[in-house]
Amino acid sequence: MARARAKNSVLVVGGGIAGIQASLELADRGFKVYLIEKSPSLGGRMAQLEKVFPVTDCSRDCVGTCWLCVLMPRMIECHRHPNIELLTCAEVKKIEGKIGDFTVNVVKSPRYVEEDKCVNCGVCVEKCPVSVPDEFEMRLKDRKAIYIPFPQSVPDIVTIDKKNCLHFKNGRCSICEEVCKAEAVDYEQKPEQVTLNVGAIIVATGFDLFDPSQIPAYGYGKFSNVMTAMELERILSPFGPTQGRLLRRSDNKEPKSVAFILCVGSRDKRFYSYCSSICCKYSLKMAVSIKQRNPKTEVYLFYTDLRAFGKGFQEFANEAKKIYGVRYIRSNPGELLEDPATKDIRIWYEDTMSRGVQNLTANLAVLCNACVPREGTGELAKILEIKLDNFGFVKQLDEITYPVDTTVPGIFAAGYALGPRTGDIPDSITQASAAAERVFEVLHVKKEE
Amino acid sequence: MKMSEVDPNFMHEVANTPRGEGVLTCIQCGRCTSSCPVARFLTEHNPRRLMEMIILGFRPDVLHGLPWYCLSCFTCLDRCPQRGDVGEVVFAIRSLAAREGDIPEGVVEQAKNLFGTGRLVPTTEFMHRQRKSLGLPEISTSAKDAETIMKRTGFDKIIAKTSTRRSK
Amino acid sequence: MKYALFLGCLISAREPGYELYARKVMPHFGIELVDMPETTCCAPFSIQSLDYMGWLAMAARNLAIAEEMRLPLLAFCNDCYESLLMTSIILRDNPELRSKVNDVLSELGKEYKGKVEVKHLLEVLHQDIGVKKIKDAVKRPLTELRVATQIGCHAVRPKMIHPTLAVSPETLDKLVRATGAETVDYDKKGVCCGGPLRGVNDEISRQLTRQKLQGMKEAGANCVVTVCPFCFIQFDLGQLEIKRDFKEEYNLPVLHFVELLSLATGLEIKDWKMRDHRIPLDSVYEKIKGS
Repeated sequence: MARARAKNSVLVVGGGIAGIQASLELADRGFKVYLIEKSPSLGGRMAQLEKVFPVTDCSRDCVGTCWLCVLMPRMIECHRHPNIELLTCAEVKKIEGKIGDFTVNVVKSPRYVEEDKCVNCGVCVEKCPVSVPDEFEMRLKDRKAIYIPFPQSVPDIVTIDKKNCLHFKNGRCSICEEVCKAEAVDYEQKPEQVTLNVGAIIVATGFDLFDPSQIPAYGYGKFSNVMTAMELERILSPFGPTQGRLLRRSDNKEPKSVAFILCVGSRDKRFYSYCSSICCKYSLKMAVSIKQRNPKTEVYLFYTDLRAFGKGFQEFANEAKKIYGVRYIRSNPGELLEDPATKDIRIWYEDTMSRGVQNLTANLAVLCNACVPREGTGELAKILEIKLDNFGFVKQLDEITYPVDTTVPGIFAAGYALGPRTGDIPDSITQASAAAERVFEVLHVKKEE
Repeated sequence: MKMSEVDPNFMHEVANTPRGEGVLTCIQCGRCTSSCPVARFLTEHNPRRLMEMIILGFRPDVLHGLPWYCLSCFTCLDRCPQRGDVGEVVFAIRSLAAREGDIPEGVVEQAKNLFGTGRLVPTTEFMHRQRKSLGLPEISTSAKDAETIMKRTGFDKIIAKTSTRRSK
Repeated sequence: MKYALFLGCLISAREPGYELYARKVMPHFGIELVDMPETTCCAPFSIQSLDYMGWLAMAARNLAIAEEMRLPLLAFCNDCYESLLMTSIILRDNPELRSKVNDVLSELGKEYKGKVEVKHLLEVLHQDIGVKKIKDAVKRPLTELRVATQIGCHAVRPKMIHPTLAVSPETLDKLVRATGAETVDYDKKGVCCGGPLRGVNDEISRQLTRQKLQGMKEAGANCVVTVCPFCFIQFDLGQLEIKRDFKEEYNLPVLHFVELLSLATGLEIKDWKMRDHRIPLDSVYEKIKGS
């Protein structure tokens, strides 16, 4: 494609919901958008979720996942839009210049698969002999060395994970090349350097999750039935490792009781002192989702403060208590122990409302762990010369007057890359819109001198 | 406890006592009590509730008896998300209680030993003999220095107060 | 490596076995223990509770002695270690407080400049010497011993003041395994022994020890190894008290870690005149006699 004039071009770093939203808005306005994503597919965190809230317009009987309705059309639109150029498996390596005229060096890592030829028939994936833990599935199951992150990936092209591929390790395996009818496999592919000339940049790189094994008292990593919230999302998702059946790891049986533990790593001066802002909401959503599947399942939520702010959440929380029977216990548990025979999790807590140390045994414990800066944010910040806040999130130029500007003119940010502002999906979308508007403003609106 | 006995300034009194600053940032999450080994045996010992009572100003209830169940095992301190920590605040309220002469017998004994001999566990003739027979060096201590320190920092007055309180 | 040895009140008065065997085995590993003149009590928790300045001054006086000797301070007892470590950190970071403390110390002709390093016995064994050197020095592998370790609270908590996690909960287990003995995981392993409440609230103190002994017995341990002299008393004398109060017998001999280490490095059993061990050590002698 012809490289458009800088003033009409924008680079969006990050292919999650915020990046996608910003790209679409700018593309619709006539900008040329380069949407860069480090992983092989668009989608980001939202693609890993089962449902999103509020589920008001949809049929309660829906057995799909929300993002099929919300995210998927946007992803496809990004792929199809004439003004958007999608660069997946790509990272920013260097920039020069200034607002209105940035020169960006992007490196596209090789997929070892020709993008124009692959039709995602799936035969290579089936035949590949290598299995490795699947990051998208939060390591709950394996994927092959040649893989597509999830069935609805955009672009729907497979990628070879060079690090684990036998062909690159010992040169002896060429199964995927042999079975590919489209002759799309190309082991000789090299990293591609792409130079872009853009007027503005939007950073929308999202978040990673705190590793709860740093809190030994909670037994994550030791006890098979202690899992994180994102892992539960994958379990609940119909496209996940259990096809949406709620089964626990130790015995593959449906848990009769599930306990959510909030503020794991968040609001904790030992780790991250801020509130991650989305956990009270999503745990509520998942609790109700579990109750909807099987009203007999006991669901407990161990909280410190119930931060269910904004439209509809307090009502939802009340509904969860009264109608669905979710049990809220105001306590931050001291420790989780495992029963060696049943692998059930015993939770020691003090019900701060009724007093007294108690313990509760649940079949499954879910830790709502803190949302932390995405790995690689530090390097990206150095390259772009933007400042980060003391937690490692992108620092806003000014929290009140320039909430989506970074400290470098012409570079903006949106979504959880900015940290736990309010953090949930509608807010990411709002910020993305704001960032898009700022781009339009700085590139096309003449300022009064 | 009567409402008239509530001391609204108690929280700040504790916060201004050394090691008591944590009371200002307690969010009453309950993790400390859930982790406390003593709380599992004794319902009266509830670290979170102790903090709550300080914050609410129940001064007499807090200072009498309650602070002395704590083991100082620091399990709570390790787990407190606010680094506020009742494990440290306990020292503050104990020192406040001590100023009023409210100290358990066992602790008074230890303090008296310290004052008199410079050691928590005084030596006896038997110990000296046993050490000699095992070829261990003589114990060298300075009771005088210990006494000087305790006098200089007002320690001796605290102990004296307990004696007078007991005799009442 | 030379260290200023801070024994503390309990070991020097009540646990000569600890001191004796520490002095015998440490030189094997190139550690020289230099006695500190005229130490006073470290001011453990019960005393700290009474007066803040009193605590700091008492502890700092001992630190000043080590400073005069120009040696790092080595503590065996967990409580001594924690009291002196906390004091050294508070005074290192707080010059105003340090000058107030020195005000008091000046009356004794002493000054603490804030430079002493405080180390724990396990820290020295694990970091300065290392598991490998210990393994190499073992002449009599103690393979028949199934040890329930009690590292104690103050060697490992609170994490935030323990410099670079000098001692972690696994350290004692690693060192015990280096002697060839097996370590067991038991219920309530990381929980306090109840020592600090001895003499203050004996009922709770004993209950805490008892629940640990139960766990140890269930896990199949045949002896207990401690580092802290308070933990030692809780488990050793404590077993007699529990037998009297609860009519329960555990028959678990309790050893100081330096005694275990001494046995492993080949010290003669007939040297053993441990009167401070209330639970007889016969079963331990029997098990290791063969090797």
